[in-house]
Amino acid sequence: MITGHLGVAAAAKSPAREIPLWVLMLATLWLDVVFLPLLLLGIEEIDDLPGTDGGYGNVIIHADYTHSFIGAILLSIAFGVVAARWWGGRAGFILIGVAFSHWVLDLIVHHADLPFMPGNAGDLPRFGLGLWDVPWLAAIVELLLLIAGAWVYWRAAREVTAGREATVRMRAHLLAGLMVVFGVVVLLTDVYIG
Amino acid sequence: MAFVLALLLFVVVLGVLDRALPWPSAGNGGRGR
Repeated sequence: MITGHLGVAAAAKSPAREIPLWVLMLATLWLDVVFLPLLLLGIEEIDDLPGTDGGYGNVIIHADYTHSFIGAILLSIAFGVVAARWWGGRAGFILIGVAFSHWVLDLIVHHADLPFMPGNAGDLPRFGLGLWDVPWLAAIVELLLLIAGAWVYWRAAREVTAGREATVRMRAHLLAGLMVVFGVVVLLTDVYIG
Repeated sequence: MAFVLALLLFVVVLGVLDRALPWPSAGNGGRGR
């Protein structure tokens, strides 16, 4: 899931208007941003779901540090603390929530591959509600999150541009429209190309 | 690769356009600029 996370970032702009959209997007993807170098180093891994050739939803993700419950909390707090230096304490708290929303959404779609402790210490049961078992449904949920996020963003953007010149007001509509179009492109490449 | 490019396009283009809107800054008490 990527597009759904971006929808959450867009929606978060409404209550956190002082935070740039790119920062909200970085926050919502933060666990994956840290995951990428660990993947390249072989510390975390992605395997095909047994009996499949991989692709959208057909993967077991061994992100045992970045996507463990405790690891996700620690990474989210770290992101919020650093961001608070630029955008203030309130923004920092919001960004902690936005960053941790990644784990919550992943919990819904992932197969049971999310550990509780970093490195799966204690060999506790792993989490994952497995919406990816029905890939088309997972994709629809992502699309709905994107559309809902773009709509909330659009409403906030309309508020702050009300009474401004037509060109400024038009930017709000343009941005929300592009958000949906680009989001659909991201979703389609995720589902069909990877 | 296509996926990463699409994602970068999403974040960069929308991030730039977002900065062109009169959002309040962190230091002005929530008033638009």
